[in-house]
Amino acid sequence: MSDVAILGAGMTPCRSRWVEKTFWELAQMAVSEAVHDAGIHIQEVEAGVAGIYNDIFEFQAIPESGFQGIIGLQNKPLMRVTNGGATGAYSMLAAYNMVASGQYELMVVVGVEKALDCYDYEAESNTPAVVQTIGYSWDPWFERPLGAHASESYAEVIQAYMDEHPGDLAPMARAKIVELLCQQAQNNPYAQRRGEKVTADQVLHSRYVVYPVRVLETCVYTEGACALIFASPKMAQKIKERTGREPIWLTGVGAANEPYFVGNDITRYKVLHRIYSDYLATKKALEMARIGIQDVQVIELHDAFIPQLMITLAEMGVVPLGRANELVDEGIIMPGGKLLVNPSGGLVFGGHFVGGSNMMSTWSAMREMRARNLEHGLIHGTGASLSMYGVAMVLERRA
Amino acid sequence: MAHTGKTMTTAKGKAKPVIPPAMLPMEGISEIQAPDGVYLQRNDAMFTAMKHTAGEFSEFFRALRDEGRVLGHRCPECRHLIVPPFMRRCPACNFVEMKPEFVKDTGVMAATPVITVFAPSRFKGQEPFGTGRVFLEAADGKLSDTAMLVRVRTTRGTIRPGIYKKGTPVKLAFCDSRQGEMLDIFAVPQSELTPQQIAKNPLFESEIEWGKLSEMEFGEPSAAQQETSRQVRLHFQKLGELISRSPRATANLANWRRKVAVRTGGGTFGFSIGQGKLRVQKAASKNPDLVLAIEDPSLLLAWLHDSTQPSGEHAQSPALTDLVIEGTLVLNKPELETITRLDRVPRSLRRDNVVTT
Repeated sequence: MSDVAILGAGMTPCRSRWVEKTFWELAQMAVSEAVHDAGIHIQEVEAGVAGIYNDIFEFQAIPESGFQGIIGLQNKPLMRVTNGGATGAYSMLAAYNMVASGQYELMVVVGVEKALDCYDYEAESNTPAVVQTIGYSWDPWFERPLGAHASESYAEVIQAYMDEHPGDLAPMARAKIVELLCQQAQNNPYAQRRGEKVTADQVLHSRYVVYPVRVLETCVYTEGACALIFASPKMAQKIKERTGREPIWLTGVGAANEPYFVGNDITRYKVLHRIYSDYLATKKALEMARIGIQDVQVIELHDAFIPQLMITLAEMGVVPLGRANELVDEGIIMPGGKLLVNPSGGLVFGGHFVGGSNMMSTWSAMREMRARNLEHGLIHGTGASLSMYGVAMVLERRA
Repeated sequence: MAHTGKTMTTAKGKAKPVIPPAMLPMEGISEIQAPDGVYLQRNDAMFTAMKHTAGEFSEFFRALRDEGRVLGHRCPECRHLIVPPFMRRCPACNFVEMKPEFVKDTGVMAATPVITVFAPSRFKGQEPFGTGRVFLEAADGKLSDTAMLVRVRTTRGTIRPGIYKKGTPVKLAFCDSRQGEMLDIFAVPQSELTPQQIAKNPLFESEIEWGKLSEMEFGEPSAAQQETSRQVRLHFQKLGELISRSPRATANLANWRRKVAVRTGGGTFGFSIGQGKLRVQKAASKNPDLVLAIEDPSLLLAWLHDSTQPSGEHAQSPALTDLVIEGTLVLNKPELETITRLDRVPRSLRRDNVVTT
């Protein structure tokens, strides 16, 4: 497989609700930004991938059908990808494969999501309906009838990890990461929670959503879109000749999904205290890029929940499993530390428009790699029940 | 019945609509103001009514409903035992047919259960509820290879941390009225049951003695406790005044009516929530909708003090929800809505700048 170039990126601002925009307009805004950023005309693009997580959020089955002609691509292929929280990363993986296989030279991948049109008329509030809609991701026989939902599911993993590693994921370490991400989000012009100030102390005193996870440790519901332009090396060279800009390269990809049901045998079932999918996906992506985790300078990580971010970094090999507190205590990810994590503010402060959040991560990592002259970045996506889906991608900047 | 496709109804008691009427929107298009103009939004719903089949899982659910027994599947080659029986063929053995096998209703927790405080729409009113995974025992005493998600309960008040942990021995109990669904069963710690109850199969909900949440006795209050309790009442009064000046805090309490009795170790008073307002009464209602019981009133006072500060940066007191989840603040019923709404108020007061130094 050859490397794939990312020529450009386009973002909409992240908002809790865009009453002013439908998901058609959000997708068009992002694609328009991306093609202009890449210095290409949309008519040059041969094919596309659309990441949309949930039909209910969009209030339409086959919601991507309306894109054809709105984001260009009339009479060209557009494939929709939906893979839980990892939809954005899986969409990028699909586009990567379509280019790396030699089938297409120039592609657009766009991720978009609405969410807050969902409304609980009894509570007169959006949030319970959004949580309910995500809850439809659980099976209708065994788990959903019990009230299983995203926070409950991730909290199970977090709690099981804490059973296995008592004292790790310490409340203060978690709270300091929240504070850090809040500060970093202030540098993201598209961040949903720009202007907000959250301190570690506030985190420690915020209410629980699902014990043992507090509300200020969770990602937010977001509406928005992001688009990226992927190209083959040959096409990237051709476009570079007219734009003069070096692309960022995708040099390693990996993905793995754990089984749905929980058991003790990690080769056959989901082992609750691990996010094994993150371990496998990262290992594969790093091997393909022929680098080690120590070579990565920036990670944009899918932080659905802060304790999960810590487990994921341990699964990636940044610290050993059971020693995730060192991320903070040893200053590894803190200001001046050796690893920059979620300069966008992550999904907790930047925003989590599910279909495209991992593309926002890519936009952010590319931005940081250029601004700080970093050589290697890592993108991560997770999703579905018990954080069972995992995707990792290595980015490389060639001076 | 399966041959004719006719429906055999098994629901006992009066049937309820799948979607509560209060959750159904009325037709209409309304205007919503955004910074750059006015936009339209339509009341709507994405609904498809279902007669949703349990298919191959029907045998498992019928066994729960009709026999009070739990069915698993075992692979005749690798001997793995899965509960619930979520597949009929073992992929590890190239899809060899698995065999049904009843398991015991005793087992252990695979991990510490979690406690849902903020639930999806269709589970509102059930919070706080605990869910966790149970490895069940087979006839040979060995544990199943997969762990089944169940609701976990305690006979001693609202579910809270410390009751269960990884490895806690549990007993699955059966609801007296069962429909053929996962909510027909729940786990109880074996340590809360008698040996006779543990040995009984099936053990029904009505055969377990459930603690009464309102039975907390605080003894004679000291003068200091009485004064603290009085301060709590006065601070609730101040909170009520601030809420009336904050549109966000008023919205936090909108569409919620409750008469609440507050029992502390220093005395009792009441407050009511209605029309987005909070009003304090010296004497608690004789028929409150909700009772909050807390022995040490200074914990409530700390929350009230922090809630009426202009900045939340130095807040030291736990959220009210935390006090409930941790078991310090006891409710007479597992209904968290009042508590979670109150917990949203302090931030709203600050965002509306109604709290001043």
